[in-house]
Amino acid sequence: MAITITTAMPTTFKVELLKGLHNFTAGSTRFKMALFTATATGSGTYGAATTNYSDMGSDELPTATGYTRPGEFLTSVTPTADGTTAILDFDNETWSTSSFTTCGGLIYDTGDSDSACAVLSFGGDQTVSTGDFQIQFPAPAAATAIIRIA
Amino acid sequence: MLSTAGGMEVGIVKVGTVSNRGFTPEEIAEQALDKIISIGNNSHPVIQAQAEAFRKEIKGVLVGYLRQAVASHNTTLTNRFKDAGHPELVKLLEV
Repeated sequence: MAITITTAMPTTFKVELLKGLHNFTAGSTRFKMALFTATATGSGTYGAATTNYSDMGSDELPTATGYTRPGEFLTSVTPTADGTTAILDFDNETWSTSSFTTCGGLIYDTGDSDSACAVLSFGGDQTVSTGDFQIQFPAPAAATAIIRIA
Repeated sequence: MLSTAGGMEVGIVKVGTVSNRGFTPEEIAEQALDKIISIGNNSHPVIQAQAEAFRKEIKGVLVGYLRQAVASHNTTLTNRFKDAGHPELVKLLEV
């Protein structure tokens, strides 16, 4: 078995947005990003059907060599609009002096019982060896932002 | 007439890794530029050229200030090492 990850917005997240359960306003320290293990190390399937951080289970990187469960807090930028599209952005996140291999990440909301907000595939295994591992969020624009509502 | 076009999407993140070191000012400047300037593939060629020129100019400014920040932080570390009685460690900061 192997991990299968598809970059997606969880369906439950869409419903939760309409219920007003997530607040991405800057300063609300509640969103975390957790990293998956290497593809061959795990076995789950993640994408639109993922609902919660707890879904990761043993497919999350273990606490070691630069990574600490349950992931790192993200610094969110207050949502804004680009034209008629609502957009969200986070500051880039760095795991320093790390050694691990990961194939994707999960953004989840600790302020809403760890509910999943975005499943991110890295397009394959990404390896860092005693160096910095950084997630670079896309430009906050209507066509690129990490979360967009058109 | 009412239009219902729209949707919710997740963007694509980039992953940056370096081994046996941290990111350099040049690499961090590139990351910052990706946030500051986004050039659409469908933009007019003249606009793209202007944006590319602006990006190049901004990168130079960013790299210069990032290098100053690194040098300034090394000064802080130098003083901390000396205050802690380990002046020999200062050599490790020399590139």
